[in-house]
Amino acid sequence: MKLTSRYEQTSCRLVLEGLPDLSAGQSSQTIGILTGFSLALAGKTELEGQRDHLQALLNVVLPYARGLISGVARPQGAQDVPVVIRPVDGQHELELRSSQPNTPPLRLPLDDAELSDLVRCLDRLQLDPQVAVPLEWPAPQPLRRSELRHRLPLARRVAAPLTGIAALLVAGVLASLLPTPKPPSSAPAAVSTPSRGG
Amino acid sequence: MADAPVQPQRALSRRGVERLDLLLLSAEALDLNGGEAMVWLSEEMGLTELFPNRVELWKRRCSNPLRRTTRRDRITEAEADGLIRILNALADRLYPMLRSLLSSAEPPQLSEQRWALFRGRLQELLKERFNPRRGGVQRLLDPQEGPQLCRELIQTMALSAGPGGFTRLKASLMDAAA
Repeated sequence: MKLTSRYEQTSCRLVLEGLPDLSAGQSSQTIGILTGFSLALAGKTELEGQRDHLQALLNVVLPYARGLISGVARPQGAQDVPVVIRPVDGQHELELRSSQPNTPPLRLPLDDAELSDLVRCLDRLQLDPQVAVPLEWPAPQPLRRSELRHRLPLARRVAAPLTGIAALLVAGVLASLLPTPKPPSSAPAAVSTPSRGG
Repeated sequence: MADAPVQPQRALSRRGVERLDLLLLSAEALDLNGGEAMVWLSEEMGLTELFPNRVELWKRRCSNPLRRTTRRDRITEAEADGLIRILNALADRLYPMLRSLLSSAEPPQLSEQRWALFRGRLQELLKERFNPRRGGVQRLLDPQEGPQLCRELIQTMALSAGPGGFTRLKASLMDAAA
């Protein structure tokens, strides 16, 4: 018996189709084996794929959303993966690469609202107790200092070290202008007096 | 499937507390009854042990160093989690509004009016409750920088809403200091 699970959020509709994995002891209402999924994004082509494509989608979309919530829009997805997401002109672009040779990749522009709709659908899928398909979900982690660095504009980042260097240089120049204290005239005499003892 | 835990477990940094309180303030700017909604949601979610009344809830938010009247005691991890849960629920309730602010499909004039209304209310709340001498507050009130920072706040709220929003926002609030 084929089961379907739908997740809808304004501009996004994600539908999973599958079968219960009765051999794994799952209930007959739980999708354990994914036979396919479809994803419709408002005004754009409806996409269809298998488990690997769904895994590739959440592998890039969730870390991208994780970066964005900290104000860091970093492209996600390597050269050889089927799904890539990157920031373009203040929006986002989802690129889907076909496994068929000589098929150009499909590029879908998403605005902030459409991206958060997609993220909500994926979140709901992750927490759905009726779906037990083996998928790996990237756990959100705090970003390191190096990952956050480009969030601040260059001028503000270099302002503190440049001020420090400038202050040091000014202090150095001023210090070099101060007259060197002359050695006390009596001191050398006292030092050079040979002691003739013994 | 279980909710993935955020690791490692520790309390929020000063910057994390600042952002969390600013996001709660943004929720108040979007919803005139936001303050009441927070108290009600806190009771609804069984957080009365952490925040027995509105004064205690307000005191926890005052750990934010950007406030006019700031409290020096640090917020515990359980209290921070409670506030993040409240924000998560508020953002979920306000999601249609957040979405319409972020959408490029809305008529530009209407969208600009909504943004102006939100920014105006947020600025009023900032002037009333936050220390205007702090750089972070001045940047939000700045006519050049303010609108972009307001957009970041709304985008953060939109991505903090819903079932996966809690772990995502908590991880973000625990970012290293930039």
